[in-house]
Amino acid sequence: MTEAFVEAIIQIAQILIFPGFLFVIGLAFAYEWFDRKFYAKLQNRVGPLYTGPRGFLQPFADFVKLMAKEDIVPLAVDKLLFNLSPLVAFALMLTAVLLLPISSPTGILSFPGDLIVAVALMTFFCIIVFLSGMCSTNRFSAVGAERAIFQLLGYEIPMMLAIVGVALGANSLKIADVVWRQGENLWYIFGPQAIGFAVYSVAVQAELERIPFDIPEAEQEIVAGWLTEFSGRKLALFRLSRDVELVFVAGLGAALYLGGPLGPIIPGLEPLLYTIYFIVKTVFVLVVLSTVRALFARLRIDQMVSFSWKYLIPLSVLQLLLVRLVV
Amino acid sequence: MPVGPQHPALKEPANFTFVVDGEHIVEVRARIGYNHRGMEKAAESRTYIQNLYLMERICGICSVAHTTCYAQNVEYLYQREIPPRAEYIRVIINELNRIHSHLLWLGVAGHEIGFDTLFMYVWRDREHVMDIIEAMTGNRVNYAINTVGGVRRDLNDQAIAKARKVLDILEERTKYYKRIAAAEPSLISRTRGIGILKPNDAVRLCAVGPTLRASAIKSDVRKDDPYSAYEEVPFNAVSYDMCDVFSRVLVRVDETLEAINIIRFCLDHLPGGPVRLKLPRNPPAGEAVSKVEAPRGEDIHYVKSDGTERPARYKVRAPTMGNIPAVCDMLTSKADHTVNIGDIPIVLASIDPCFSCTDRAIKFVDPWKEREWIWSHEQLEGYTRRKSRP
Repeated sequence: MTEAFVEAIIQIAQILIFPGFLFVIGLAFAYEWFDRKFYAKLQNRVGPLYTGPRGFLQPFADFVKLMAKEDIVPLAVDKLLFNLSPLVAFALMLTAVLLLPISSPTGILSFPGDLIVAVALMTFFCIIVFLSGMCSTNRFSAVGAERAIFQLLGYEIPMMLAIVGVALGANSLKIADVVWRQGENLWYIFGPQAIGFAVYSVAVQAELERIPFDIPEAEQEIVAGWLTEFSGRKLALFRLSRDVELVFVAGLGAALYLGGPLGPIIPGLEPLLYTIYFIVKTVFVLVVLSTVRALFARLRIDQMVSFSWKYLIPLSVLQLLLVRLVV
Repeated sequence: MPVGPQHPALKEPANFTFVVDGEHIVEVRARIGYNHRGMEKAAESRTYIQNLYLMERICGICSVAHTTCYAQNVEYLYQREIPPRAEYIRVIINELNRIHSHLLWLGVAGHEIGFDTLFMYVWRDREHVMDIIEAMTGNRVNYAINTVGGVRRDLNDQAIAKARKVLDILEERTKYYKRIAAAEPSLISRTRGIGILKPNDAVRLCAVGPTLRASAIKSDVRKDDPYSAYEEVPFNAVSYDMCDVFSRVLVRVDETLEAINIIRFCLDHLPGGPVRLKLPRNPPAGEAVSKVEAPRGEDIHYVKSDGTERPARYKVRAPTMGNIPAVCDMLTSKADHTVNIGDIPIVLASIDPCFSCTDRAIKFVDPWKEREWIWSHEQLEGYTRRKSRP
């Protein structure tokens, strides 16, 4: 009885505190800070500076400020969708991070086929983006929502193909298996899967709506795109879900190509070391993502789609073939 | 879909209403006049010297082009030539201003296509030219260097030495940006074949400045109708024939390089002598028109004097005014090419618009009653009197 009770408490703590929600949200703020700081360095700026040491608390301060701001619901919006979509988006991303292997080689949730669920959650997020843009009844939001879906056509297939390559390599659709497989052999980034990593890093840039694919919220063209009508708490939640998504995407990249949280281990300290390896590897993915963001101009929506069909998809197919030959 | 009067792509209020079909633009309606400041009327109530400071503030970026134009205009009224050293200093400051304006534009253009890294780098390097300007004139934005009859400050050796040093850095950086512009694929794909303005359309719609020169027409006031010391300075009027935004980028980058050479030449050949001519307080009655090649294109000032200490009428045609019809043409889809929503910011930016310089109350439009009317000077005066009656 008591043992089962303690077990349950531990599980709940895992989900709520470490390595679950609280830890991931903290990590999300830290990664946003890192992304902004690194991006600023590449652009010869200083980036966030005043809040906390080296501006470390700036993303958190932004979040608190937005939470306190007036929350405007325009008259013409579809109230239910408009109020619900930030919550759903946030919930989706929190669910997704439960699949990530952080403090152990298996995630909090781990089952055969969780890789498919991970990809599906990302696509759901895009659908939420579309719905929240459309329910805003704003012209900029509508254009942004339309672009988000159009963009999905461009990046989703190459991303999936890249992930299929990984699944083929590990012969499993379970993230934990993929991680173990890399623990036994080489990390996937060393080998033909490196192409997959490249495709993945470009495609998730579109998933995260970052330059060069920040087309659905292109500031200079359509104000904030699908986000235009959201303010206050809703905007804060959307931004936080973006940050959590950043953690998720970086974590998935690390799990699929960099051996997840695996590394040299001292017995007894596994969870701590795994977490450290996880952070180091995700930060590496983040560096790749931020560099891509600093290097390019924003593409136009038609150029984006044709780019991904002309280059990303052939590349991911090539990677599939190579993986098939090697395995 | 409205763009403006408040929109992230516009740094100043203007309104462009687009009729869009999906991502394609079918029609564009421009509406300017949100930033009318009554500069011309204000000029009539100030003395010629006070007006210098007013003209400086027509535009924050090409401030010196407007004062040069103004000062020349008043000098035409006196029918006096200013000392050659003053003319050279005017050329130097004007060209420094052009460098600063073009680099600023390049940064903004980068920002408009979402290339923020370019924006940050260019603006960092632009600080160098701001430093030279500050060393020479004492100010960074409104230089207050021109005066009727010459310039107010002479250049000192220290500033000249500094300028020479910094110009080398600027030249190197500008060449680097030119290489980037010619090689960076995402930048090229966002600017090549975008915002097309055919040469005959450019002439028909009275485009000016870099916008016109990017449409294969070599027209530059500095060459065609030289003022100040431009006649003595060797330089090329830059022109490219691709007629798109890319070609406007190249024109501006090349003009920056030309400007660096012009400044070097002027510093090497700076004549001695005074920098200012003392002129009587009131110019003789008469009219004059002066033209200056501002960084954005041809800037035209007209003055009418009745022999008093204040101008009887003053008129400014800032370059952006000349480019508004052209930009509307660029933004409309044609039979042979379409224009996307995504291209709006960069195409608008490609004329380097400066709306506050441009806005004139020329026409009254009531968009709700669909009524348009024009008032004469007397009617306008009558209206003002009625409104200001206690």
